Amino acid sequence: MEKILEKKRIDDWIKALSDWEVHAPALQDGIWTYQPVSGAIRLDHPNTNQSPKGFAFPQREIFFSFEQIKGEPPKLKQVLPKTPQHAVFGVRPCDGRGVPRMDKVFNDHVEDPYYNARRKNVAYVGLACNKPPSPNCFCLSVGGSPVSTDGLDVQLTDMGDRYFVKAITEAGKALMKAADGMFSDPSAAEQKQLKQVHAEAVAHPQRKVNDPDGAPAKLKANFNSPLWEEMARACIGCGICTFLCPTCHCFDINDEVQNKAPLKGQRVRTWDNCQFPDFTMHSSGHNPRENTGARLRQRVNHKFQYFHENFGMHQCTGCGRCITGCPVGIDIVTVVNKVTEHAG
Amino acid sequence: MINLQDIRDTARDMLAKGEVRTVIGYRRGTRGMLAEPAFITDPAQADDLVWNPTCFHNLSLYLVEDRKFLAHLRQNPGAPIGIVAKGCDARSIVVLMQEHYFKREDVYIIGVSCEGTGVVDERKLAPHLNGFQASDAVFDGDDFVFTTAQGEKRLPAREVMADRCLECRIPFPKEHNLVFGEDKTGRQLAEPFAALKRFEAQEGGDRWNFWSHHFDRCIRCFACRSVCPMCYCDECVVDSITFPVTSETSAEEKANRIRWIERSATRSENITYLMTRAMHLAGRCTDCGECERACPVNVPIRLLNNKMEREAREKFGFEPGASIGGPSLVASFLDNDPGDFIR
Repeated sequence: MEKILEKKRIDDWIKALSDWEVHAPALQDGIWTYQPVSGAIRLDHPNTNQSPKGFAFPQREIFFSFEQIKGEPPKLKQVLPKTPQHAVFGVRPCDGRGVPRMDKVFNDHVEDPYYNARRKNVAYVGLACNKPPSPNCFCLSVGGSPVSTDGLDVQLTDMGDRYFVKAITEAGKALMKAADGMFSDPSAAEQKQLKQVHAEAVAHPQRKVNDPDGAPAKLKANFNSPLWEEMARACIGCGICTFLCPTCHCFDINDEVQNKAPLKGQRVRTWDNCQFPDFTMHSSGHNPRENTGARLRQRVNHKFQYFHENFGMHQCTGCGRCITGCPVGIDIVTVVNKVTEHAG
Repeated sequence: MINLQDIRDTARDMLAKGEVRTVIGYRRGTRGMLAEPAFITDPAQADDLVWNPTCFHNLSLYLVEDRKFLAHLRQNPGAPIGIVAKGCDARSIVVLMQEHYFKREDVYIIGVSCEGTGVVDERKLAPHLNGFQASDAVFDGDDFVFTTAQGEKRLPAREVMADRCLECRIPFPKEHNLVFGEDKTGRQLAEPFAALKRFEAQEGGDRWNFWSHHFDRCIRCFACRSVCPMCYCDECVVDSITFPVTSETSAEEKANRIRWIERSATRSENITYLMTRAMHLAGRCTDCGECERACPVNVPIRLLNNKMEREAREKFGFEPGASIGGPSLVASFLDNDPGDFIR
């Protein structure tokens, strides 16, 4: 389904989506974040500070609650998320491409009921990038594109005073049908303009991973390279790169006890991060990834080697958040290029 | 004005003569104009060093890392480690030495005065560049000059400078082995604690709501802790393991470990984390402002540290990092202490 929507009517469209909880990027406290829509939205954001992965994989998820009176068996109660239907507007193509990658992680071998309960209720309304929203964009290097529709339910393309609106999935069609009368059919000239806008979008220069296809083998060959420690020398071991990433999905599970006697609490899953020194700490005190070099290698190899070996695609979608956010200049494009060039 | 070549020549000479084993300084990074920490061991690489308004980092953090690494290897330091230090960074080094983290002779401080300026705040700069990214930044007296695809952009330093630098009282590394640039202590670009005063004037008695809003936004990436040279504890209240585990540690000890703060990024846990950190920095924070710069979600962390700093200053005339032999705030008392409970 392909339609045209006048830009000034986007708020009317959102108003018509009364069956959905609509979120869109908003500038608050100096950063762009997804916020519940109240009033007019603007889709002129660079990219959001954090990726939209939290809609299906929130930083904190309660698995079950537990209670136990001394001498009695414990009582467990599963807490499956019951979320309303969400429509997330303004998702950039890199973040769209993060969605199928997360779907794989949470459904390969084991289907994660918590992730899936949220995921089935989220529709992503993407916005093509007419020009790279960040100086650290590199989607073209990792099989993506500023006009990719992968993972999106609807794709919007900014064409001046109009959006070209394309439904990609059934969920996307449902969003458009909820406001049927607001859309018009695209003319031949508008179809042509779309092609031109997309062609220009793809032609914008971006940062470049020089040999993405060769990366898995070359990273593997360089597992023991001294380059890792050298490149990670400045790493401070914070969680910015992974917490902002659209595809990082590692988590920790803890029992949060609210009351000791009678015992009462919740088992919760929270985001975890391979860059934290205690991430791989064994209970013996041994830490197999004992320095920042080993931890940087894990992050980069996961994106460009291990995931590729498991699923036949790079996990990194080229949003550039880890580069922009790093307080000490660690730059995944430079890192991958250095290692792949090192192997010659 | 500071001549960059002088810094490079010094580093090269000292490395070549073996007077220092490494020079920790700044080099140009691979993302736009931004500098990044550099660890120079080969004299031939001394020309990688840069000095510009994006040399934000408080490199004394890496002295702590170096010390930990040497302790791990059970090695003596040998030749001292050279470090490029701004005024605030040098005061951090002093605090670390007050706390006996390392000895004076283990460090060779290559001081650099911030003279009339300081470092840029990227968040303040962005609106001036109309969406363009600067490829270069230089000091030019009272101005910063940025190179963009649109040409050169000259901005008065004070318009885009970080608050920490505007409010800096001592932009000169008093503790140094060698120093570049003039001592312009006393230059007043903004009054001390200006951002804190602005906040206090605005809050309108709504402090709880202000901080609840910001504590709720914290994602607990711990960048503020990780980037801070004073946050060197091996055991931190926020970590899942809050004590050193060895082969002797029993399963029971591990299972019954105290968890002061849960991993969930919820308000109560975030408050406990950020307030604990602020308290532990009282009298130690030298206002390098790195925690606030590193924060990916713009939590105004610096206000918390500034508040503690101002309390210490007003109550006890305390200046963190003033001298190596000087007293520390929480491990000393005054005969004329204003509180009678302590006398």
